Amino acid sequence: MTATSIMDPNPTVVKPTDLIKTAIGYIMDNRYRNLPVVDDEGHYLGSFGVTCLLKNVLPKAVLMKQGLTSVPFLQQTLADLHNRLRELEDHPVSMCMNTEAMTVSPDTPLVESLLILYHNKDSLPVVDTDSGKLLGVISYWDAGEKILSA
Amino acid sequence: MHEAHQASVIFGLDPLWYAGVLFILTYTLIVAERLNRAIVAVSAASLMVVGGVLTQEAAVQGIDFNTIGLLTGMMVIVGVTRKSGVFQFVAIWSTKKVNADPWGILVMLVLVTALLSALLDNVTTVLLIAPVTLLITDELKINAYPYLFAEIFASNIGGTATLIGDPPNIMIGSAVGLSFNDFVINLAPIAIVILLLFLVPLYFIWGRGLETSNERRQKVMNYREADAITDHRLLKQSLFVITIVIIGFIMSHTIGAEPATIALFGAAILLVLDNLPRNIDEQSENVHKSFCEVEWVTIFFFMGLFIVVYGIETVGILEMLAEHVISLTGGDLKVTAMAILWVSAVASAIVDNIPFVATMIPLIESMATDFGGSEQLMPLWWSLALGSCLGGNGSLIGASANLIVAGFAERSGQPIRFLPFMLMAFPLMIASILISTVYVYWRYF
Repeated sequence: MTATSIMDPNPTVVKPTDLIKTAIGYIMDNRYRNLPVVDDEGHYLGSFGVTCLLKNVLPKAVLMKQGLTSVPFLQQTLADLHNRLRELEDHPVSMCMNTEAMTVSPDTPLVESLLILYHNKDSLPVVDTDSGKLLGVISYWDAGEKILSA
Repeated sequence: MHEAHQASVIFGLDPLWYAGVLFILTYTLIVAERLNRAIVAVSAASLMVVGGVLTQEAAVQGIDFNTIGLLTGMMVIVGVTRKSGVFQFVAIWSTKKVNADPWGILVMLVLVTALLSALLDNVTTVLLIAPVTLLITDELKINAYPYLFAEIFASNIGGTATLIGDPPNIMIGSAVGLSFNDFVINLAPIAIVILLLFLVPLYFIWGRGLETSNERRQKVMNYREADAITDHRLLKQSLFVITIVIIGFIMSHTIGAEPATIALFGAAILLVLDNLPRNIDEQSENVHKSFCEVEWVTIFFFMGLFIVVYGIETVGILEMLAEHVISLTGGDLKVTAMAILWVSAVASAIVDNIPFVATMIPLIESMATDFGGSEQLMPLWWSLALGSCLGGNGSLIGASANLIVAGFAERSGQPIRFLPFMLMAFPLMIASILISTVYVYWRYF
């Protein structure tokens, strides 16, 4: 058994030119953790996820290398955070895309795929090694469903 | 020349040439920055021993363990203290004291950075202050560049003021036996003058144009600085130990303790206080973290460098150089002091001031006979300290703290570029050396 046995072959995807607010809409409506970003030919480019949203409502000074490790003194309202996010909403997804997210190939063994999913904590894109095309996505729910129904 | 330590050099090479070439090669590799500076220094030190210039015993004797102990002890104390959040508290508190006015914040952060740099090392200070600066400037939607630029200057000027402020001072103080008070009495007054005068051009260049809305200022005023203190118990313990250590430095001559002993004793007390309530497993983990706060790269760099410099001292190169310098300055103490001040400043702007000062110390010591004893050398030591510490402001690579701030600037999307920085910083550094020249001349001649 390989990664393909537990993947969803028809995942929701976004394009790098889609607006961040569109991608946020998909994520919030369907409670996704992350979405694969693909070009017009279906080549996998990276991942856009909820961490991008969190990253953009938090101050830069806490996210940068050697930055502040805690900010208990900061007093901000939800409206302040939404304002921060608004500054980003009309930018393209490519601006907030993680190009170094973990992927697996279709012939990655099943348990190995699950182990990567466990460590990755995000849905796992399955990408064809030769063509670079996205073949599907393994989410916690897909994996759980397949295991329970076996 | 230390005849007793001289051993036969491999392949029958002339020890003077072998040590000289190795020293130049070490300097070149440190400046080139292709290989980590600690690797360069430790490799060169090993070659001094393997090559036969020094025996292992002599090499160990060449390491100034007072400098190493002082640096290590202070790094542990600061590493433990920072976990309490006290430094963020001070930065935010000072910002609110000026009602989050942009120019007022700049002045306060300059003063806080200078004060902390005088009492801690510069790199630690900017590592603590720069992220808070970026948080505040981000909140106020103002350019962080003037603040980061000013903090670089403040850290190097503040570090000039005390024995423990900057590595060159630690090395000079240790080699010459100068106390914490000697540095405060001789260098703190001029450091304060330079720091205050530095604010004048800063105001005209950037200060007048720093503006933000009242709404944004209010956001900063809403920061609750008291909440920055994440561990009150640790805060009390750290402040207690830092106070003890500073008192120890001030009274070091009276109690007959070297600075390294005081710093390491302080570090030991703090580790005991911090770990006593924990179980043995937690202690292992916590002590491991505390020792990780020590910048071992810097410590090994120092140790390697001390051995390399001891090698060239042993073969007599520094004595020859000292005689050459004295012949160039006509044996005049005033001219020699000025030459050391200016050459140190320019050299420290271009190369790392640590190897430079490590080389200059034995070189100046060799001049004692020509100037009528080591007591006469005091103006030279103060010139070296002023030149090497303030010179670090001359370029972005002049001091480690400068590069740390530049790293923060880069990550915040407001990069500090080498040339634009130097165009503004070098003239300001020269101005500080001019002021120092007047001071040294007025105070010591």
